[in-house]
Amino acid sequence: MSVLTFDDVTVTFGHGANHIRAVDGFDLTIGENTIVGLVGESGSGKSTVAKAAVGLTRPSRGQILLDGRDVGAGRRDAARDIQMVFQDPYSSLDPRMTVGASIGEALLGVRSRLRRVRVGELLERVGLDPALATALPSLLSGGQRQRVALARALAVEPTVLIADEITSALDASVQGSVLNLLRDLQRQLAMSVLFISHNLATVRYVSDVIAVMYLGRCVEIAPAEELMCNPSHPYTRTLLESAPRMGARIEPSGTDDALEHDVPDPGKPPSGCRFHPRCPVGPRSDPSRTICVDVDPQSIAADRSHQAACHFAGVAAGLEP
Amino acid sequence: MTTEMTVVAAQVSNNSVPRNVSLRRLLRTPLGIAALVADIALLLLAILAPIIWGRSADAYDTAGINLPASSAHTFGTDGLGRDLLLRVLVATRFSLELALGATLIGVFFGLLLGSLPIVTGARVGRFIVAAFNVLVAFPGLILAIFFSSIFGIGATGAMLALGVASAPVFARLTHTLSAGVAGRDFVSAARMVGAGRMRIIVRHILPNIGDTLIVNVAMGAGGMLLAFAGLSFLGLGVQPPSFDWGRMLQDGLQQIYINPMAALGPGLAIVLAGLALNLTGEAAAQLAGRRVSTGRRRWLPSGLAKTETGTNGPWASTDRPVLVVENLTVRFPGPDGHPIMPVRGVSFEIAAGECVGIVGESGSGKSLSALAIAQLIQAPGDVEAGRLLFDGEDLLRLSRGRLRRHLATSMAMVFQDPMSSLNPVRRIGSQLAEVAVEHGGLSRRAAAARAVDRLGQVGVPAPRRRARQYPYEFSGGMRQRAMIAMGLMLSPTLLIADEPTTALDVTVQKQVLELIAKVRAEQNMAVLLISHDLAVVSAMCDRILVMYAGQIVESISVATLLAGPRHPYTRALLAAVPDLQTDRCVPLATIPGRPPPPADFGTGCAFAPRCSYATDRCSRTPEPLSIDGDTVACWHPRQGAKGPPRAVEPGAVSSTIARTS
Repeated sequence: MSVLTFDDVTVTFGHGANHIRAVDGFDLTIGENTIVGLVGESGSGKSTVAKAAVGLTRPSRGQILLDGRDVGAGRRDAARDIQMVFQDPYSSLDPRMTVGASIGEALLGVRSRLRRVRVGELLERVGLDPALATALPSLLSGGQRQRVALARALAVEPTVLIADEITSALDASVQGSVLNLLRDLQRQLAMSVLFISHNLATVRYVSDVIAVMYLGRCVEIAPAEELMCNPSHPYTRTLLESAPRMGARIEPSGTDDALEHDVPDPGKPPSGCRFHPRCPVGPRSDPSRTICVDVDPQSIAADRSHQAACHFAGVAAGLEP
Repeated sequence: MTTEMTVVAAQVSNNSVPRNVSLRRLLRTPLGIAALVADIALLLLAILAPIIWGRSADAYDTAGINLPASSAHTFGTDGLGRDLLLRVLVATRFSLELALGATLIGVFFGLLLGSLPIVTGARVGRFIVAAFNVLVAFPGLILAIFFSSIFGIGATGAMLALGVASAPVFARLTHTLSAGVAGRDFVSAARMVGAGRMRIIVRHILPNIGDTLIVNVAMGAGGMLLAFAGLSFLGLGVQPPSFDWGRMLQDGLQQIYINPMAALGPGLAIVLAGLALNLTGEAAAQLAGRRVSTGRRRWLPSGLAKTETGTNGPWASTDRPVLVVENLTVRFPGPDGHPIMPVRGVSFEIAAGECVGIVGESGSGKSLSALAIAQLIQAPGDVEAGRLLFDGEDLLRLSRGRLRRHLATSMAMVFQDPMSSLNPVRRIGSQLAEVAVEHGGLSRRAAAARAVDRLGQVGVPAPRRRARQYPYEFSGGMRQRAMIAMGLMLSPTLLIADEPTTALDVTVQKQVLELIAKVRAEQNMAVLLISHDLAVVSAMCDRILVMYAGQIVESISVATLLAGPRHPYTRALLAAVPDLQTDRCVPLATIPGRPPPPADFGTGCAFAPRCSYATDRCSRTPEPLSIDGDTVACWHPRQGAKGPPRAVEPGAVSSTIARTS
């Protein structure tokens, strides 16, 4: 049982004028035995957060703490407590290594006979036939590969598991079983899980707490049902409204607003609230709301129980700020 | 779960080692045979020639000095009367030894240098990479001459010099290849579980770059042979009394006017041996890349594109169809020579202005069906259809030119990745205009104006400025808009959109879908929307075709989809994908097993192995069944949404069921 804390984590790529802050002052706590879902659009910095947590990239500012220990400094042993499963099951297994060898790599200190037994146990744990240990990844389907990747991550008995878009490369009919497996494993092993996805429905199904990320920052954090039923940040509402729903007709539109709806360049984030150029509540709807352009609302979020980094949080939901 | 495992177990036993198969196939190609014969000849010569002819090649014959080529001495004799042909043959071993030795030295140091940056980390690595990049910039032979003055003149010195001089090239190659592998997730995963750098290099990186490296080494050895000849020719290589081909070439040149064969002979040997090594490299490349072609296709594409069909299929829709597809089949040659059919007898119609969706998982044949309709399947693929009518024309009968023109003017296509459909080095505006100039007969100026107009119509801001930009300056959503604008340059009656929003973020996805809906309403354009996402299709379309294993298993209205589809596959798919209303307290419904690959579609209902309602009947292909305007290809159709799905009782609902023949 562990707590993973991101404290003001900033990750910068590039140097000088062209540098991009992929993650900029990111705060998030993944509590004991909980699944925190992280949603956001491409370029919001979700995967960079994950890579920073497992030490594949280094924060330029801030700390990542595992039960109070900084995992950024002097990695190796502390780092093994945090494991990650990747999005692309076709790239995450060495094509030249058998399934057993890939999983066994995490058990290097263990004697070879014991290792074989452990590999078999791990394969069973993720719902695969232990006989698959001798197979090469090319014989496995995407869903099976993702299970092997899970088994490899579990081999070092991590206390925190990071799942980065683990179902988005899978066929619809096998996604469900991988999600079920992840939930079962989390319960059995009492791990803390950071579940990253661009798919709101998947995140909602899996997570206890949901964090919404926009341009390198968390803009809203709340318990899953609370966030879904009562989204406070306009960006979260935009995301929820945009998600396609069964049978909800999409009406013709498209030229009424010639504004760029696209995510701004993360190299040049907008001033104040980063969402203000696209925000349906901010200055675009009410020009008097200049505070959105001038003042960064990030600091006010921490004081709220339902954390939303917005000057007008809850406005469109009918609540006064 | 159990089904999934049995499938794999079966595959494990079926798949013998694939490498042997391709090696055997390679040896049936002319290249493979040539490489094998050349290698064996070279090897035999290298081993046997010095044993058999070693002594006679060194035998002086003062009576016959510098003889020209004759029947007794095919290549003539040298200044000491030794037979040149024998000497060329005997020199094979030494020449090859030196060339291969130098190659091995180069590869050894190259691998060491090339993988060093991974061990040392980024900062020191950058210097090492810069160092061998500078060395690569020097011509290899100049480096070799430089090094041979260090290592001393003679065979060993030359070998070392050439080896070291070629190291930067191999280092560069190793570094480039390993950088590609090092960026892949499995290396990150190994780092996460605590594998050290050396282990990562030895276990993960080297095995994965081996294929390409071996190819280049084989090619490099051929070049090395030539380089050696060059060094010996300059007098820096082998010194008498030793001799290799290069040395003999140099000696031979002195008497080229007396006996041209004295120089041509060793030259010929160098060329032939170099050729043999290059052939080996080529063959290795084919083996590594599995680019082996067996030449002729084993199956014959039927000359007649028309196949037998009954009357108008049961998948028919409303009046005045803009597209009629009947019994569409796509065939590709399979890996073992047997044709595979990723699309098998697909039939449907689209009415003018109608929006029809095709949903299915990867490999279901949905995209191939669309490509086949648009006549975009390329050889060796083969398309057959009973009927293929589009916008009043029979696509199977049109001449090539008229077909192109007809499709270009009346059919628009949007793909998942707009970047690959746009030419990266041309301005967006001119790419759009080209369509109207080529097929619409517009002048350049009018076409350019129309391009700006259409870009504005699809919501690209500042279209005049944007038209002058290049694709990379557009965001993903804007590119997709540009693709739709390109489709609208002429007046299409059908837009085929293949996963148009899969690569886009949800907020952008909604805008692009709204745009497609708008364009459809304005132009009364029919839309064929292909997606893996049932929600997207249900939000856009009037009718939905569900594809599985290359066939349409169900054609239903959106209302039926929401109320509860009839095919067990569609139902299972709906239950397996969570939406924003899914109950979080219960596990997601799962479908055992996985979709079959096109080679294993088999006979009967393809979904039967994964279906909980399957019976013996399902081993026969189900006839399409019409129920209340929907069509389902299943022996055990379901009904209703909530609770345990119940079977349609044939007696109870017989009035609504009409089995079509």
